[in-house]
Amino acid sequence: MAAIGDDLFFATIPEINARLKAKEISAEELTRAFLDRLQQYGPRYNALALLLRQEALRKARDVDQDLKRERFRGALQGIPYGAKDLISYAGQPTTWGAKPYAAQVFDYNATVIDKLDDVGSIITAKLSMVELAGGGGYTRASASLTGPGLNPWDRTRWSGGSSSGPAAAVAAGLVPFAIGSETSGSIVTPASFCGVTALRPTYGLVSRHGAMALSWTLDKLGPFARSAEDCGLILQTIAGKDSNDPGSAGKSFYYTPQYARPMKELKIAYAAVDFTDRAEPPARAAFATALEAVKASGVQLVEAKLPVFPYGPTLSLILNAEMGSIFEPLITSGRVDELADPPQIAGLKASLSVPAKDYLKAMRVRRLIQREFARFFSEYDAILTPGRPGPAVAANADLDAPGYQPPAGTAPGFQGIIQAGNLAGLPALVLPCGFADNLPVALQVVGLPFSENQLLAIGREFQSRTDWHRRRPKVG
Amino acid sequence: MKLTRRKLAAALLAPAAAAQTPQPAADPVQAARDRIKANGDILAKVDVPMDVEPAFQFKA
Repeated sequence: MAAIGDDLFFATIPEINARLKAKEISAEELTRAFLDRLQQYGPRYNALALLLRQEALRKARDVDQDLKRERFRGALQGIPYGAKDLISYAGQPTTWGAKPYAAQVFDYNATVIDKLDDVGSIITAKLSMVELAGGGGYTRASASLTGPGLNPWDRTRWSGGSSSGPAAAVAAGLVPFAIGSETSGSIVTPASFCGVTALRPTYGLVSRHGAMALSWTLDKLGPFARSAEDCGLILQTIAGKDSNDPGSAGKSFYYTPQYARPMKELKIAYAAVDFTDRAEPPARAAFATALEAVKASGVQLVEAKLPVFPYGPTLSLILNAEMGSIFEPLITSGRVDELADPPQIAGLKASLSVPAKDYLKAMRVRRLIQREFARFFSEYDAILTPGRPGPAVAANADLDAPGYQPPAGTAPGFQGIIQAGNLAGLPALVLPCGFADNLPVALQVVGLPFSENQLLAIGREFQSRTDWHRRRPKVG
Repeated sequence: MKLTRRKLAAALLAPAAAAQTPQPAADPVQAARDRIKANGDILAKVDVPMDVEPAFQFKA
């Protein structure tokens, strides 16, 4: 067996799978190496919620038996991974990143865990998160049972939230991939800050059964990985109809790169101002270079405008109303006061006061937003924006403090695309695209519902022209 | 620094003026409720035709 070098910790899924199938390394050796690395470095970034050593090694030995008999189960067979600690794994704590739930144990697996288990993926860890996925409106990165998520590129910076652990663990090479969640920005933000490729799937494509609910009509689960191709392979496994998830779209996803449309046929909406005046000054050079790479792929970049709606208030009302109902027992019992972040506690308590008329109005405005995006995507194939306007903020920053402000009168560009995309259930792919102040920055490609193959094709093309997704931080 | 009568008057009036300015709620829960109400007020201004039903069950 070959020794496990650093390259393997940062290898893509097909690269690792090829070495397993060629018997250059066993699943048990691979899993043990990742477990040791998680144990050694996970706490350094506050990325680790729970190590699953015994379960992972047992599963790895099963995979080795399958490989020995040439029972191949696909690209994810034998690949270790981590899951955000809001995804239940039977018999082990699922804390939702929050003290009141520190001892919570479910007796069943989330559907995504079962689906990954079926193809021989090996869960090695539960990964940290902002408490209750941050729905109450947290103001500090420290709003977590495991402390502030620290960025592998610079531990004085935040790894982003609420999927802090999945992003940091993938960035630091502690897992080849991870499953996180997004209600509004919880995949896009940490992936952008940590410089990893990630996919927020269309609402309903991936079952949320067994995952903590924050907002039934907004929650999505999705992968953090090394490349767009990895995201496609993972999505193919975890997507699909699930009668246990009332929001399930009843659709499968087949990763079909061979049927991607030629780049020159694609019309992509963007606003130049998002990459210049609306971007933080240190990030502008990286965004300019990234835009050139996108243009060189042959796509048509067309100036466009985000449809005008009060996205923030609409999303906030829906989230608050649904969250208040979901966490009413926590709030009325008084245990909400055990949370780490006082503004989050206040936000949860206040969420019980959303008038029904306001929730209904927000859901009706949401219908208009959906219709408008259906019209928008009859003209464009995707939207291109920065993932975030700049790199990761300080780990001790007040997240409510106003950040960079563009000059007065600056056009809005696609500001609000995170809220808009989540309200309309749109998929988004995050692609690392360079560095600012030695920290990663990223692009975000948003498409119409169920257009994941199109987004992944754009991502693959971009990543064939750049190597930002292969950059790795100094770990240790 | 010479203190003019105008500056003195302004200095004396400042606390009173500050007291008259609406302050953010000291109670963080009330402040969060105020934000929810403000969001509702914004949406109240959006004209939605009668036949636009709420997005239940939400489907992308």
